[in-house]
Amino acid sequence: MRPIPTLKISISGVRGVIGESLTPTLLTRFAQAFGTYMGARSIVVGRDPRTSGEMVNQAVTAGLLSSGCRIVDIGMCPVPTVQLIVRHHRAHGGIAITASHNPAEWNALKFIGRDGFFLNTGQARELLDIYHQGEYTRVGGAEMREVVELSGATDLHIQTIIDGLGELPATRKKLRVVLDACNGAGSLAGPKLLEALGAEVFTINVTPDGSFPRPAEPLAENLGDLCAAVKTHGADVGFAQDMDADRLAVVSQEGVAIGEEYTLLLATLSVLGKTPGPVAANLSTSSALREVVSRFGCSLFQSKIGEVNVTEEMQKQNAVIGGEGNGGVIYPRLNFARDSLVGMALILHLLARTGQTVAELVSSLPRFAMIKEKMKCPSDKISRILRMVRHEYATYPMDLRDGVKVSLPNGWFLVRGSNTEPIIRVIAEAEREADARTIIDRVYSRVQECLGP
Amino acid sequence: MRGIVGETFTPEVSVGFAQAFATYLDSGRILICRDTRPSGPMVRSAVVAGLLAAGCEVIDLGICPTPSLQLAVTWLKADGGIAVTAGHNPSPWNALKFVRGDGLYLDPQQAEELLDIYHQGEFAKATWSKIQPAIQYEEPIEYHIESLKRAFDVEVIKRRHLKVAVDCCNGACSLLIPRWLAELGCEVLTINDDPNGVFPHRPEPTPATMAQLSALVKAAHADIGFAHDADGERLGIVIELGEPLSEELTLALATRIRLDQSPGAIVTNVCTTGAIEQIAARYGSSVVRTPVGQTYISGAMFEHGAVLGGEGSGGVTVPQVHLTHDSAAAVGLILEGLARSGEPVSEIAGQLPSLFMLKHNLTVEPNRLYSVLQDFRIAIEGEELACDLTDGIKIQLSEGWVHVRASNTESMIRVIVEAENESNARGLLDWARDRLNK
Repeated sequence: MRPIPTLKISISGVRGVIGESLTPTLLTRFAQAFGTYMGARSIVVGRDPRTSGEMVNQAVTAGLLSSGCRIVDIGMCPVPTVQLIVRHHRAHGGIAITASHNPAEWNALKFIGRDGFFLNTGQARELLDIYHQGEYTRVGGAEMREVVELSGATDLHIQTIIDGLGELPATRKKLRVVLDACNGAGSLAGPKLLEALGAEVFTINVTPDGSFPRPAEPLAENLGDLCAAVKTHGADVGFAQDMDADRLAVVSQEGVAIGEEYTLLLATLSVLGKTPGPVAANLSTSSALREVVSRFGCSLFQSKIGEVNVTEEMQKQNAVIGGEGNGGVIYPRLNFARDSLVGMALILHLLARTGQTVAELVSSLPRFAMIKEKMKCPSDKISRILRMVRHEYATYPMDLRDGVKVSLPNGWFLVRGSNTEPIIRVIAEAEREADARTIIDRVYSRVQECLGP
Repeated sequence: MRGIVGETFTPEVSVGFAQAFATYLDSGRILICRDTRPSGPMVRSAVVAGLLAAGCEVIDLGICPTPSLQLAVTWLKADGGIAVTAGHNPSPWNALKFVRGDGLYLDPQQAEELLDIYHQGEFAKATWSKIQPAIQYEEPIEYHIESLKRAFDVEVIKRRHLKVAVDCCNGACSLLIPRWLAELGCEVLTINDDPNGVFPHRPEPTPATMAQLSALVKAAHADIGFAHDADGERLGIVIELGEPLSEELTLALATRIRLDQSPGAIVTNVCTTGAIEQIAARYGSSVVRTPVGQTYISGAMFEHGAVLGGEGSGGVTVPQVHLTHDSAAAVGLILEGLARSGEPVSEIAGQLPSLFMLKHNLTVEPNRLYSVLQDFRIAIEGEELACDLTDGIKIQLSEGWVHVRASNTESMIRVIVEAENESNARGLLDWARDRLNK
């Protein structure tokens, strides 16, 4: 089997391995393509703490300046901060330098449009066309513009949240929180926000030096240290962020990671409890969300996977809250982006308002068992696998908008490729764990057969 | 390595050359600086990206003259440096100047090796754990001034309270020269000292670009005026009467001042004025002639233990500072000479040999360039005249000398002639053009 190439260009941007596929030449070309696409306008640039961030930032700076852009460099910050600042500054776009939860050797460019959203499929294609054609706008020295270094971007982000939701109501005892920022972009902003809200804050992994203290995805199995810290400090809740602070995971006061599906569920409870309205998520989100939404007499709309698709659906439906089952919370009233800082604020306000513990809130929610698997898979094998699934499950209701989602009598499963890594994902959900396990085992083994030796 | 930004000088080219240079220097510690050109930040970022990607430790000196970077390479024990500057080229241009670990430019062989690496495209690549996560910053002007102070008799200059007018061309010298002159106790009158890269004239010191400075010298009754290029290599002089000297005479004046202290060898290139030999002869000193280019000047100065070097472009090398063109060092030498002798600069300039130089460029079809020169050489040798082939073709005649060479950058032949007077010079030019069939 051919080795899997380490460069991925997709609607999510361009992602690659430092020292291999993600070269400064490629990066500066992409930046020139983006500058050409945007016209010579103001572009906000921010990055996560990866060690290669500075190199990528310099390559992007050169490319943007060359195409006549003005750069607002907000330094090391969460991705949702970049999106917020694009809107706040009325910039024409942004570039976030982050490979999200990919391991340390990766980095990436994520392109943000004028509206603060990541580019949609059409826009991403137009950008790619410009990149491949190689005819970039190239201005002479006299037309070149400046780089403005803007400090205080995360402070503005935090202030927006405090202004919007207020500090936590005064209770007999302050809410005690442990934050695990994964040494990522939330390392400085996270604790600051929590303190501004009025929580008592403990932290682990808040040193943004480019090291990865744990795998970046805030999956339950990666949160052992956080769970222990919650117990040690007797905290009311634990929060875990990923490297670029857009995703959020929650740990209960018992020191149990409740699973990333529950982040959006708790945030939804928080919002619908005060301001009912439409909710949007992607089609791999738990069935529990549908039930919760209907308890409030509201409607759930499901889109293809991906922040861009969810936000488009949210705009279409005027959703008051939305997100994805991977811990991404989008609360348009404060920041129309997946935002772990907003997520933490919403959940803390929920705890304060209800006086319930995390464990109590979780047990009040409908219980489903969701199992997620992934395996390495080259991009060119994915369509073969999806064809196989469509064929095998032809008699069941299917949603083909994003991979293949099959509704079974006792649950559902989804098979799809990834935009961000050379893998294939299989997700299954049922009310009972045993059923979910049966569903996924069958599908998973068929996929493995299809991939071959 | 130079070009016009927005045309051939793209970010990719800068990234590539930076990676090539880093590869050449085994991804060591590399300094970077720039002049004030508006494309400087763009090129600088591209270079930094290339250096970091190759695993270098990068130290950014910010805006400073190229000789400041050259000194800093030794001060900071760097493996090399890149100056982002197109020197005397107009504002739309930019370029990379590559400096090696001893602070000198790459020699021609090294430049070839660098070019080979660039074209091969196989560069050092740092993985995520080896890539440097940050750039360091240093300020090199202080160190440059300390090095200058050690090389000259600052006290004797200070006692004179010389009144000096200076045109920094809104280039990198704006950060160095006014400060250096203040250290020398001068009353300093500056024009164009805003390091904003808006060049008020071509950033090279020639009588044509020294009009504003000359007016200032005259109006303010200054003792002398100094004109600088964009990155601190070339120097032009205006005498106290308000007349600019030809840039060809900067080295001549510096030679006269230096040899007056003590004799020693002088190094210059083949097409600089013959006044240098005439002056040196008065002091019993020798002159070594090299091909055009700083790297040859430094090499020969080192080899011959020369006391001074430079080129007819106005670039002067004062070895007690460092072995590279440095207009601030030339300023120090000249002011020290004025301070010691008490003579006005017009007197010293008046004693220089008076020669007449003519320069002429001939356009040639690209494929004919070398055959035209070949035919010229055959014609010359046919007349049983000796050809000096150090760089191009130089012929000594009784009236003066003729130098002919192909341009490196355009499809042209450059002809330079020098004689005792204008009419003889024109005669020499006609002589040369006849034999070039042009």
